[in-house]
Amino acid sequence: MTKEKKRVRSSASILLCCIIAAGMLAACSSNNNNGNSASSESSTPSADAGNNGGNQSTKNEDPVTIDWLAYNSFGQMTPGNTIDKMVSEKFNAKFNVWYIDSSNWVDALNVKLAGGEMPDVLLVKPDFNTISKYVDNGVLAPISEDTIRQFAPSYAKLIDQYDLWNTVKYDGQIYALPAININGDYPTALIWRQDWLKKVGITKIPQTLQEFEDALIKIRNNDPDGNGKKDTYGLSDYAMPAILGAFGYPGISDFKNAGKGIVNLDYIQKDGRIQLAAIQPEMKDALTLLAKWYKEELIDPEFITSENTGGYWADSNAFYNNRIALTGKGMYYHWRNKMNPNAPDDLGGGQYQNLLKAQPTAEIAFGTPPVGSGGKSGTIKWGVNAPPVGITTKGAKDPRKMETILKMAEASITDFDYYNTTFRGVEGEDWKEENGSYINLNPKITTADAAKKGIAVYHMIESPDFNKKFDAFNYQFADSVKTTGYSPFPAPTVDSFTKYAGDLTKLTDDAYLKIILGEASPDSFDDFVKKFKANGGDQIEKDVNDTYNKMVGK
Amino acid sequence: MRTYTTNKSDFIFTFFVYTVLTLLAVVTLLPFLQIVTLSMSSAEIVNSYGFHFIPTSFDFSGYRQVFHNDLIWTAYGNTILRTVLAVALTLVLTFLGAYPLSKKFLPHRTFWTGFVVLTMFFSGGMIPSYILVKELGLMNSIWSLVLPGAVSTFLLLIVRNFIHEIPEALEESAKMDGANDIYILWRIILPLSMPVLATVALYTGVYHWNAWFDSMLYIQDEKKQVLQLVLRHIVLDGDLAASGTETGQTNVNTESMKLATLIVSILPILCVYPFLQKYFVKGTLIGSIKG
Repeated sequence: MTKEKKRVRSSASILLCCIIAAGMLAACSSNNNNGNSASSESSTPSADAGNNGGNQSTKNEDPVTIDWLAYNSFGQMTPGNTIDKMVSEKFNAKFNVWYIDSSNWVDALNVKLAGGEMPDVLLVKPDFNTISKYVDNGVLAPISEDTIRQFAPSYAKLIDQYDLWNTVKYDGQIYALPAININGDYPTALIWRQDWLKKVGITKIPQTLQEFEDALIKIRNNDPDGNGKKDTYGLSDYAMPAILGAFGYPGISDFKNAGKGIVNLDYIQKDGRIQLAAIQPEMKDALTLLAKWYKEELIDPEFITSENTGGYWADSNAFYNNRIALTGKGMYYHWRNKMNPNAPDDLGGGQYQNLLKAQPTAEIAFGTPPVGSGGKSGTIKWGVNAPPVGITTKGAKDPRKMETILKMAEASITDFDYYNTTFRGVEGEDWKEENGSYINLNPKITTADAAKKGIAVYHMIESPDFNKKFDAFNYQFADSVKTTGYSPFPAPTVDSFTKYAGDLTKLTDDAYLKIILGEASPDSFDDFVKKFKANGGDQIEKDVNDTYNKMVGK
Repeated sequence: MRTYTTNKSDFIFTFFVYTVLTLLAVVTLLPFLQIVTLSMSSAEIVNSYGFHFIPTSFDFSGYRQVFHNDLIWTAYGNTILRTVLAVALTLVLTFLGAYPLSKKFLPHRTFWTGFVVLTMFFSGGMIPSYILVKELGLMNSIWSLVLPGAVSTFLLLIVRNFIHEIPEALEESAKMDGANDIYILWRIILPLSMPVLATVALYTGVYHWNAWFDSMLYIQDEKKQVLQLVLRHIVLDGDLAASGTETGQTNVNTESMKLATLIVSILPILCVYPFLQKYFVKGTLIGSIKG
């Protein structure tokens, strides 16, 4: 009896398991079906549209519908605004502008992509490794170079000029349209407290490493803020890359980010090979010098937690609070101390204003990065490559969409009026022209409000020439304070970088800080290099060179 | 009261307890005061070193920037609606779900309890949830925020344990007097469960007040988004924008604005909390002691 019961029970439990399993399978397969039907649904209309594109002569007046995400979605555009209408009419297209939370772009977009929803065209963010990920997952479609040159010849020439095609290639094919941020061509600024320099008797802005050292020693010892206490230091973390730059490409370009574990490994090209900047032998000399300066108390001991203790990233609280004399990382426009005569309420760069609020008598001077014994110098440049614009596999099915998107890219490079309207807004409402200079009528507009009106939604590519034409005063100032700079080599993306870069950044930051703080001797740099190479450094360099050589056809 | 004078060791003990509690209160309050002060201070004070517990000069530009955004009012409305709706729904479902599970005579009670508990350990994950919400047609509606989390297993178990503690004799006597099951539930169990239901309401309310991720995933229309997401936007986009390609623009985002945002988002909960707190402590304790 009991045996019988047991058997019944066990067979019942097996049955139950089967039912549950079947239920799960059914759920999965129905899900799959749904997925398939959804994708086939979405593919049918686009296939139809493709036919339309083929028979353009007969059905030319039908506007093409594009799911648009090729912009920074800081706000949700109100459809039917002036700019939207202009662009739609010009290209005979209807735009379904997507809105993805810009502060959480990656997560929000990935869920949508995984859920089977895709725009036709999108900004590929946050970094270049995203291209390979998107290609492997079937999101991005290849764009043939001939098509680009056919529909967007001037745009293609511009990219030739800045040599950016490598940044969007994967397995030798172009997967996105490179974009340019011309500010990336201007090195980050190096800012001195000029009133302090004067006070300690230095009239000439320091140029060489030796002059830097002399100035910093005087600032440490001669009480430049006049409070009778020895509480001033030379520099903190923001100016450090510039010191490393006197020896070669700075091995860490941003100490604060590296300390937080954000990937900070730059490529350089040296002796015909792509290499990682962090392990170059010249960094050993650079760190030796920084260790010496740290021992001499020229470096603020709080540099480990950064001189920026809160607020916007370009702010330097240590600089504002009379603690250090030299800061960096910000751009010329953050620290601009010359006012635009055409804009009467111009107060200068935001960080310059903040400094004056804290220290009303402060004066600043744009410095030049120190020149080392080998003649090297420079601060970090961001590099001109901005997030590129990719066309998805869904968008690529319809040649008309591809054509429209490329023509839009061409228009933003060749048509100044188009650039002005799409990027700066409506004339008379958002900006005006006066005696050949352009004046922004809403300088304090938030990016969210701008996006609502359609500003900076359709521009796709910022034309460097048009930027300089519109913002003439700003760029004249930028050119007047431009120094030498290092920008990272735009190398192709490789999987090993994605895999190892995080750990290698931590390793590098750890080794550099220990040497600077004097906890390890400069000779430990050699051990660090060995460890770095063994833990993925060699693999990255090998992969990146192989990929690069294949790409350029060596 | 008499312990103060009668017993010396009691006095020392009380003194010790009060000292520790006062210290704890100070440690918690000071950072809050710092934030309140900085939120209404100008940039030079925010950027200066040192403590700022009492405002020395007032500058409400941070608050002005936060409230300049029209979206914030619709977002406030959405959050309040969402919270009220979710709390009501959760209370009804949790209570109705917990009551039968607390009854010993429920057939296969262990199985059903196990079935419910299982969901606490295994969840579908983000993408399946997204697909589910999409296929149910909930996208872009407030139901996508309220329905997926309407019953929390954890809270259900707390309520179940609480009801379980109510003596069965109460129900039996009511039954003898001719009350039916619904009447018993409504007139006897519900009033006795008030402390635990207040806890559930507070937990759910706070959760829904602070939630933003689901709104980001499921809601496309800016006007339907919840407060926390809009505030997050205000805080983060200023940073992004200024580090991006906009040239020559002063950064729109200031530290005082971020802190003002913080105050704006926590103030309502701060006002409600003291009134619910007594239930809160009681409810969790009573529900959790015996299983």
